[in-house]
Order: sequence, then structure tokens, then C-alpha cells
Amino acid sequence: MSVSELLWRFPSAQMAWRNLGRNRLRTALAALGIVIGVVAICSLGMATVALQQQATSQLGSIADEVTVTSGQDSDTDGVTDDQVETIRNLAGDAEVVPQKTNSTEITARNGEEARMSVTGVTNAAALYNLTSGNAPDRLVTGALISNDTAARLGLEVGDPVEYDGQLYRVRGFIEEDGPSFGPPGGGGELVLPESALSDQDHYDSVTVIAEDGDAATEVGNTLDDYFNTDDEEELGINTFGGADQVGGFLDTLSLALLAIGGISLVVASVAILNVMLMSTVERRGEIGVLRAVGVRRGEVLRMILTEAALMGTLGGLVGALGSLAVGMVVFQVITGDPLGALGWSSAQYLAYGFAFAVVASVLSGVYPAWKAANDRPVEALRG
Amino acid sequence: MSDPVIELERVVKRYQSGEEVIEALKGVDFSADLGEMVTIIGPSGSGKSTMLNMIGLLDTPTEGVVRHDGRDVSRFTGDELTEERRSSIGFVFQDFHLLPMLTATENVELPSMWDTAVDRRDRAVDLLERVGLGDRLDHTPKQLSGGQQQRVAIARALINEPNVVLADEPTGNLDQDTGETILEELTRLKEDENVAIVAVTHDDQMLEYTDRTVEIVDGVIQ
Repeated sequence: MSVSELLWRFPSAQMAWRNLGRNRLRTALAALGIVIGVVAICSLGMATVALQQQATSQLGSIADEVTVTSGQDSDTDGVTDDQVETIRNLAGDAEVVPQKTNSTEITARNGEEARMSVTGVTNAAALYNLTSGNAPDRLVTGALISNDTAARLGLEVGDPVEYDGQLYRVRGFIEEDGPSFGPPGGGGELVLPESALSDQDHYDSVTVIAEDGDAATEVGNTLDDYFNTDDEEELGINTFGGADQVGGFLDTLSLALLAIGGISLVVASVAILNVMLMSTVERRGEIGVLRAVGVRRGEVLRMILTEAALMGTLGGLVGALGSLAVGMVVFQVITGDPLGALGWSSAQYLAYGFAFAVVASVLSGVYPAWKAANDRPVEALRG
Repeated sequence: MSDPVIELERVVKRYQSGEEVIEALKGVDFSADLGEMVTIIGPSGSGKSTMLNMIGLLDTPTEGVVRHDGRDVSRFTGDELTEERRSSIGFVFQDFHLLPMLTATENVELPSMWDTAVDRRDRAVDLLERVGLGDRLDHTPKQLSGGQQQRVAIARALINEPNVVLADEPTGNLDQDTGETILEELTRLKEDENVAIVAVTHDDQMLEYTDRTVEIVDGVIQ
């Protein structure tokens, strides 16, 4: 069954299809305008998604975290138990991990020395990845140590490490390939149960681990509102403004790029408006004949709107397919994974682009269609 | 014979043309019956076309009454006139006015194309066969001669079983012989289909086929 037979049941569509076929070059050029508009808007949208994914993966998980420390105007030298409890209440689902920190010097049996930061934390699992096995979510005995430092000191699992006169057995090695926030000098990190640092009354920092960057920002703002005023900073809230700023920059960038794409689609709709207007002016006599033989105004209107819609659909489809190809190339270049373009966050732009193309085309058809339909048949017949 | 199928009574039509008002029809009386062919003649600018527009329900009069099928249609809205034309008026134009992208059959079906409930395919084919184009059903206008195109147009004018067919210079773009066959066709269909045919022409040949001739000069019937 040919397209035209299928359209037979829809006279307006049938006529529109035939009319578009009369001047294929003009139809193709008008649709090409739409294709370019859709490709512009889709591939720019997809490029920003690729950039966002790339930025997020480079920032790693720290973007999801809020770090709370004692504020400038605090009476205490750290975060108190009460404050930790309040943070837990305010943070909702997010995990709250209080830590005590210190530093120490470790001398190994092989004579090597290392200056290390010491972190006392109970929920080690939330903060650390081990090279083998999992960090305990309740660290009560033993120690975790950075794998590089452990290698340098010749430490193996089960070996003792001394801190503050106490011995702790090494239970695992911390993976260091992620972002490291050890002290300058990169001396590595020693993670002990909280009890090891019990001489400190307060927590040096509290890490809140949220679902994602946006949730982290939200938690940060909530905490800031609760604990701090303009004049007084009870707690220092750090939402890794860097990540936030990168996100903000990308949002601005994606808006700017989408605006450029949007402009090209507007240009394309003006082209369609022009083509539709020209073709209805050219066909004035013919439309007069239609009206004379009893075709209703609404039917002429539908016919011409359908022409515009078909052109938009055609251009939108081709444009979406082209954009998918462009998007995959963009993802390959930026993130190294072309299939990333198929994910909803980027593929949604194909749907938007297509919908935008159809809507813009139909809108461009409204005036020519209205004009043609309301032309008096007597006038129109004179051509 | 019953009441006339189309009737103009003291019809006046004025146009605003720039500053001046042009009176194209100055109180015209006219009527046509079913099965009758009436030819309107007159010099150009005499109001022939305006009169045909009134009879074809393409336009409404400034003053006077237009009756179609006994009903006063002079104050009909554009949409009401469209419905009236759709159901019972056929048009044949000087330059055929077929749609180039449609086949002969589709062109004939055109007036009823939007009525998806009614299948006019059989009647369209039947009409084309009756005007001698049974072997040209799927040809486009480009593949047809002038006379063949005009016969498609005649079939189109009859598709909705009208009671009035308007023919504006139907032989104007055809040579003598072809014009003659078209006129024979019209005469035959007028009787078969029992329609009133109202034609406007300059063609003397047409007067041989017409039942009655009406002359209009300067907006007045002579």
C-alpha cells in the first residue's frame, strides 16, 4: 500500500501529501531548513549533556558531599555531639559521618618513616574504598591505611600500627586513585576507630553524603540556614562550591547553546512560513476552485496546516536521526562512550527537537492557511 | 414545469472600487429551469461574470433576491453558501481548473473528497465513462488534451448530482471541433441528469445548442 493510498482516508493529508510532491525541490529545501534547526538544537543539547557527564565523572563523588566544620564564631573547637544529632535530623536520607582528625608519625620496622593524617571515624565504609574487600561500616578495632604508604612502609594486613601508645592491626588498604584530601605532602592517611581519638571532645569535621550534587547543595543550604546567620557562623558548611560552580557554568553554557539551536529553528520556521505563503499565493486560483466546488474553509485550512505539519514531521525525523549520529560522535569525543548519546538525559533532546520542529512548522502554517481559507472564492478564482 | 431552480429578482450588485461605487448589476431578473440550457451573452464589462457569480452562489447581491430551489439564499453567510454549492451546484471553467497532482478520477471526486462517509468512486468512474474517458481514469491533467480535460471538468461538475451547472466560457480554450463535442456532451448530460445549465460565452457556436439566450449590457438585461 502506497503512502497516498494510506492517506486516502484522510483527505486533508492526502491533498497535502500530493501538494508537497508537486514541487519536491522546494519542499526538500524547506524541510532541510528544519533538519538543520533540529540538528543544531539537538546536538548542542546533547553536547552539554556529554560535558556534564564528563565533568561529573571527573569531579567524582565529592560533588555529592557536604563537609561541616566548626565555624568562625563557634564557642567550641569542633562540632559537638548535639550539633551532629541536629545535622542528622536536618539531612534526611543523606548519610552523616562525623570524624576526628589528628596527625602522627609512623616508623616502620624497615626503618622508613611517614607523616600521616589520622582520622577517627566509625562509618568508614561511607568514606573509603579498599583495594580488597570492603571497609566496615562500624570500625571499632584495627586500622585502615593508604595503600601507597603501606607499600612504602612494608606493611601487610595484620601488621600492627602504633598511635598514641596503642597498637592497631591493619585490616585493609585504602584505594588512593580517587581524589585525595590528605594533608599537603601526601603522607597518606591512617583510619582508626573513633575511640582512638577519644581525648578530643568534638568532631573536627562532619561529612554529609547526599544522593547527588543537587541534593548536596540543598542539604548545605538547609544546614547553613539553620546554624548560621549573616553575622554569625556557628558551623562552616562547605558544599564543594567548585562542583557547584562547574554545574552552574554548564547550565549557563547549555542554555546559551540551546538558544543558538532555538534561533536556527526559528529561522527554519520563517523559511517554512515563506514557502507556505508563496505556495498558497501561487495556488490562489486553485484554492478558489476548491472553494467554488464546495470545499469548506475548515477543510482548506486543515489541508494547508497538514502540509506544514508533514514538512515539519519529515524535517524533524530526518533531523532527529542526523542529531543522533552527531550526538554519538560528540559523546565519543567528549566522554569516549558513543552509546552515552542513547541515554535518556541526552536522547530526550531528540524528542524535544522533533516536537519543536512539528510545532514550529504548524505555527508557521497558521497564517498562510488562514489567509487561503478566508480568501473570498470570487476573488480567488480571478487568480 | 415546476418552479425555476435558480432565480434572480431585481438583483443589484455594487462594488466599491477606490473612490467610486460601480454598479455591476442594475436590477437583473433571471431564471432557469431544470433540463434547460440558458446562455448569457454580452460585451466584456457588461456584468456577465457578476451575474454568473450570483447564480453560482459565489457572491450575494447588494439588493434584490436570489432563490435557489425556491429558497431565498440572498442573505446566506459564506459558509452556508459553501454548503449550498457543495450539495447542488457544479462548475465548469474556461481553463478547466483541474488539480495537476490528481488523476482524472480523483479530480472528479474532488468536491466530495472530504465526505469520507460517502464513496463516490463508482459514480466518478461512471461519469468519466459517460464523457468517453473510461480509458483515461488514472491519467493526470498533463497527460490529457484540452478537450479531455474539459470533459473531466464536466464530470466533476456533476459528481454531487447538482441541479445547476455553471459554465464560464466552456469552449473558450478549445478549437472549433473540440468545442462542438463539449457542447454536445453538455446537451446530453443536461437531459440525462436533468440539470439547468447556465453558460456565459462569446462563442457563436454555442448558440446552436442553447435553449434560450439572455443578453446583458451595462448591467441591464436587454
